[in-house]
Amino acid sequence: MSFDESYTTPDGRTIGGVLMEMRNITLRFGGVTAIKDISFDIRQGEIRAIIGPNGAGKTSMLNVINGFYHPQEGEIIFRGETRRRMRPYEAASQGISRTFQNVALFQGMSTLDNIMAGRTLKMHKNFFWQMLRYGPALQEEIEHRKVVEKIIDFLEIQSIRKKPVGSLPYGLQKRVELARALAAEPSLLLLDEPMAGMNVEEKEDMSRFILDVNDEFGTTIALIEHDMGVVMDLADRVVALDYGKKIADGTPQEVQSNQAVIDAYLGVAH
Amino acid sequence: MFYREAGQYKTSYKEDSAIFPILQDRIAIWFYLAVAFVIIPLFGSEFLINSVMIPFLVFALATIGLNILTGYTGQISLGHGAFMGVGAYSTYKLVTYFPDTNVVVLILLSGFFSAAVGMVFGLPSLKIKGFYLVVTTLAAQFFLEWAFIRIPWLYNYNDSGAIEVPQREVFNIIVTGPDASVLSRYFVVLSIVVVMTWIASNIIHGRIGRSWMMIRDMDIAAELIGVRPLFAKLSSFAVSSFYAGVAGALMVFLWLGAAEVESFDVNVSFQILFMVIIGGLGSLVGSFLGAAFIWILPIVIRAVPRIMGMDINASTVEQLNFMIVGALIVLFLIIEPHGLARMWAILKQKLRVWPFPY
Ligand SMILES: Nc1ncnc2c1ncn2[C@@H]1O[C@H](COP(=O)(O)OP(=O)(O)OP(=O)(O)O)[C@@H](O)[C@H]1O
Ligand SMILES: [Mg+2]
Repeated sequence: MSFDESYTTPDGRTIGGVLMEMRNITLRFGGVTAIKDISFDIRQGEIRAIIGPNGAGKTSMLNVINGFYHPQEGEIIFRGETRRRMRPYEAASQGISRTFQNVALFQGMSTLDNIMAGRTLKMHKNFFWQMLRYGPALQEEIEHRKVVEKIIDFLEIQSIRKKPVGSLPYGLQKRVELARALAAEPSLLLLDEPMAGMNVEEKEDMSRFILDVNDEFGTTIALIEHDMGVVMDLADRVVALDYGKKIADGTPQEVQSNQAVIDAYLGVAH
Repeated sequence: MFYREAGQYKTSYKEDSAIFPILQDRIAIWFYLAVAFVIIPLFGSEFLINSVMIPFLVFALATIGLNILTGYTGQISLGHGAFMGVGAYSTYKLVTYFPDTNVVVLILLSGFFSAAVGMVFGLPSLKIKGFYLVVTTLAAQFFLEWAFIRIPWLYNYNDSGAIEVPQREVFNIIVTGPDASVLSRYFVVLSIVVVMTWIASNIIHGRIGRSWMMIRDMDIAAELIGVRPLFAKLSSFAVSSFYAGVAGALMVFLWLGAAEVESFDVNVSFQILFMVIIGGLGSLVGSFLGAAFIWILPIVIRAVPRIMGMDINASTVEQLNFMIVGALIVLFLIIEPHGLARMWAILKQKLRVWPFPY
């Protein structure tokens, strides 16, 4: 694999050049170093998995990517430009959206409102029109509702549209969270353990959705996952972390057979 | 049987996004409006209109204001009594300086002053939450009370130290001052409350309302999605205090006729907060139910001994009143912490499936 050329995967998808590059990232919390001098990249259109034992620094890495944590050292290059320190919503407005390890839905709102919330950055009609819920504001609301309905159909959650998300089972909440992230029409989608706590059937559904998102919308996806079976099925490339350090990077097969990875997982007894 | 959406198919997202998608709910709204605009003025006694309905509507408006901040945005305020005062005092200054301007316009304008004050005291919410924010809003309350007393300019240097509402006409009808008829005051209050409720509902169901609720439910996720906390919180403080300010102005100009600082003290702040909590956090219907509960129930309790011919002295009735209302508040919150609005919703849900609950 050379760096800036695109290539075609065995299943016929085109992987482009580098979309985001992390260069020598170091992130510390007081005395704890969560990430130590890690470099890796995410290419346009690929599904990139981040694996590693508990506390390896995976979530911290996602938080760095979407601007929630600011690394003490290192550079982030997004779409060919070095990114300056920024607020999280700026990352969102650049097309980076995410889901969370512990579901972070808006518990008091309905499924529909949660997904509509994902379109916040795309709605601009001013206070005056909002007040009247008329003219441009109503039109905007309906336009976005249409997009949201497409996502609802896509993820097969029509029946829970009006339900408060707090009352939904965990697996469905994860799906609504994916829907909310998709509503922003991201170019880079970050998924933090999207299948944690799911049964086999739910995992299969979620895997299918992730593949479909990548395939149909060409969305680049970086996901954290513990289940090696899922990683082998989904990912084009895998980066493995342990104790905040990168220990392997490559195709799923390469990473799976890497001795450091095997040791790391055995050491933590998974 | 009669209350359900069966057979009412929505053929467009516009219909489904409507605020009352169920036909019966829309009929109910028209019914309430008819009662308020026609039945009560025709058949209501002066006592009912002046001492029950007008204050009920004023408090409902203030409760909507606080609900926007507390129920929808999750920021608690104990300064709303004083924000009502800002509306009242600024209306007083405005009617003094612009005696020929329509007083209704001035009352609405006064909302901008309370909105500005509310925003200033809302600034700490960007850094602090929960109890600490309560303390800063309480500080706002005491600071403003101090200002209402110590700045005689605010009450036009009256010897009484109070706002004395002058007579003003709208379309040749006297609406403020001692000679204003009960009905004219009632219609002004009712119209303003209805329009402002409709506007609140519109805001809440749109992008801005959602951004408030996002901040309330999970501020970190909201920010990652693209809500700017600064804008969401301050806009909520502004709108909320606007409502409180207009409610305060209505209270003084169209109900009390005169007011000094006691009308806006911390008890009022607490009273409105009770109305929000009893009615239901994050519910407009609840704001009305809560205001009705806290304002109308004591009136009913006071009337009971008189109607039943019992000879109980007034102060005993007052004590009983406190005890009964207090006990009911506790009881209600134990039964249904989400307030009257939730009870109302559950009742409607039962109606929808009645008579076959499965
Ligand atoms: N906000 C924070 N403050 C202090 N320490 C933190 C913070 N976030 C993460 N850490 C620390 O950084 C390290 C990496 O945590 P991180 O959550 O990134 O791990 P992870 O790989 O996602 O683990 P898991 O599989 O358990 O989710 C841990 O030691 C954690 O305690
Ligand atoms: Mg994690």
